[in-house]
Amino acid sequence: MLDGLLILLAFQFAGDLLVRTLGLPLPGPVLGMVLLLIALTTRAAVLQRVAPAANLLIGNLTLLFFPIGIGIVLEWERYSKHGLALLVSIVAGTIIALVLVTALLKLLLRSQP
Amino acid sequence: MSAFNTPLFALFLTLASYRLAWWLYERSGRHPLAHPFLVAMVPVIITLLLLGISYRDYLAGTAVLQFFLGPATVALAWPLYRQLTTLRKIWGQVLVYILIGAPLAAGLAIGLAAMCGAPLDVIGSLAPKSITTPIALEVSRMTGGYPALAAGAVAITGIVGVLAAPLVFRLLKVSDDRIRGLALGLVAHAIGTARAFEYGERAGAYSSLALGLTGLLTAIALPWLWPWISALLQ
Repeated sequence: MLDGLLILLAFQFAGDLLVRTLGLPLPGPVLGMVLLLIALTTRAAVLQRVAPAANLLIGNLTLLFFPIGIGIVLEWERYSKHGLALLVSIVAGTIIALVLVTALLKLLLRSQP
Repeated sequence: MSAFNTPLFALFLTLASYRLAWWLYERSGRHPLAHPFLVAMVPVIITLLLLGISYRDYLAGTAVLQFFLGPATVALAWPLYRQLTTLRKIWGQVLVYILIGAPLAAGLAIGLAAMCGAPLDVIGSLAPKSITTPIALEVSRMTGGYPALAAGAVAITGIVGVLAAPLVFRLLKVSDDRIRGLALGLVAHAIGTARAFEYGERAGAYSSLALGLTGLLTAIALPWLWPWISALLQ
């Protein structure tokens, strides 16, 4: 667990450092994720130790962000005038995207068993 | 009252609500509408309102949880690496599907919100709604969005996607687990992937791969393209 956390923090820091130094238009942790992905493909045994910490964090993602989401309710007056746009974009947008993506995949994968 | 306006109480309240929400989610047979994101909020909101604790103070009290969104983003490399290994032969092909599908999902969110007259900060919160929350929050920061709105938009997108999926698959006569998995992971991120695993291991693996690649591609492209998109919308 401790090794896993250490690996995650090291790669996040490397990503953050690169983004700040080079002024990249990219979130630091995302670059950290790319760097870790590349490092993992070398199959270095030590990096496999990331698994326990990674699985713990990913398994409890909702715990990490639901406190932020509470702001929608507690600061609703800030968003209320955009209610229609939110409803259309989130609900209709998601259903339309799902229909189009599914239809597209069906078309593209038709020839492959 | 001051013992309640502390990080200690904020964390206790958050963890207790989360635990309760998971218990209810399991009891409901993992119904999408009982997702812990929606349920865990309720006891926290009621308690904060009763005790008169502000959202700002509560967020400051739970800052340690938000800190771990960074390492959680890096951690997504692990399942992505595993799926890339499992689905070694086809991931290049999947990448092409994602290159078409991810801009479609983000473009619909942006386009529909703009059509309804939403301002740029709201559109910036909605643009990353089809990608997993830790990445979406990072992206929304770079597109000038509100974190609360971005987190909520992502969660509702996942829930709507999972609720609509069975009907969409039936109407389009889709029984291929590869398509079910890819579509759920691409549009409905982690919540969709959890549903895809109920169709089977194969659907789940494809969904995990789609979730990882969609998050990665959107996080790379959207902040970079945002100056042009926002100029276009103004």
